[in-house]
Amino acid sequence: MSHTKHESDDATVHHRSARERRRRQRGPAAVGELNLTSMIDVIFQLLIYFVVTASFMIDEGVLTAMLPQGPGSPAPPDELPQQTIVIELTSSRDDPAVVGIAWDPRQTTADFAQLAAQLDLERHDPEKGRFGGTYAPDNPIEIQPDGEVRWQHVVDAFNAAIAAEYTNVRFAPAAAGS
Amino acid sequence: MSKVVQRGAVTPSMNITPLIDVVFLLIIFFMLVNNLVSDETVEMILPDITDPRTRELGEVDRVVVNVAPEPFTREGRASFPLSHRGEAAYVKVGTGTASRYEADDLEGITEALRREREASPEVEVLLRADGALYYDVVQPILGAVTAAGIGTVNLVAYMPEDG
Repeated sequence: MSHTKHESDDATVHHRSARERRRRQRGPAAVGELNLTSMIDVIFQLLIYFVVTASFMIDEGVLTAMLPQGPGSPAPPDELPQQTIVIELTSSRDDPAVVGIAWDPRQTTADFAQLAAQLDLERHDPEKGRFGGTYAPDNPIEIQPDGEVRWQHVVDAFNAAIAAEYTNVRFAPAAAGS
Repeated sequence: MSKVVQRGAVTPSMNITPLIDVVFLLIIFFMLVNNLVSDETVEMILPDITDPRTRELGEVDRVVVNVAPEPFTREGRASFPLSHRGEAAYVKVGTGTASRYEADDLEGITEALRREREASPEVEVLLRADGALYYDVVQPILGAVTAAGIGTVNLVAYMPEDG
């Protein structure tokens, strides 16, 4: 639609006055409304931020370890004595990446995956079809780290014993440990 | 002007007040949960182990013992997490402002754990220690846990990626 300049001016004036008239009709009774859109935008941003950052420690898990509890009670005489598997860890302050693993009592292993594999091979577990091994799944395993071994390697050794499906894994008593 | 035309000119608007109420509640919830969780945990790099067999502890009474390492930057340890002096800064037992102990205050730690155990006998102890700490540092704290009459401790490490 095309208008001349005069006509369009006229229309504008008419439009404005109509709006003003309407406003006057409504008068002071009209309820003022806040524009909440931007506030909702911000609140949703905050909400998403807190939902995303609430991690609930989901990526952390636990390995349950037994602690040494004094000398303990002697084994019942009618049971075969069990030889504790001792996993010795050694390290030096100079190179924390290198860790020596020795167990039972002279075998050495290169890394913790190999330790888990060897421990698994040595397990005698008829219920799961394993007959070749020497140690029952509840045979005590004692982790005996050097004082200079990093905690990561200690937990790693612990995890290897758990991965090899031994159930009785514990830390060596303090006097023997350091 | 007729009434019908007047009504048509009014912009329709939703009543979003309940929505805002709910969203505010959610925000407050997540803020509080965030604070509670961060009060229980201390910034550290947990042991990153091969083929982890860690599991989730589930819903049990728990007290978290944090062995905090000396201050470090995540960038400095990004390529090699063990590049740290390996000494502990402090030990934090549970939550709250009075839960910090010196790493060599073993009696204090034992006493705090004994109190937790009296409050709920089935409490599980979670030991969060930085992977770079020396066993020399962590071992006395294990001893302190034992001295509180607690037989098992849950070592915290990262979970496997696939859950």
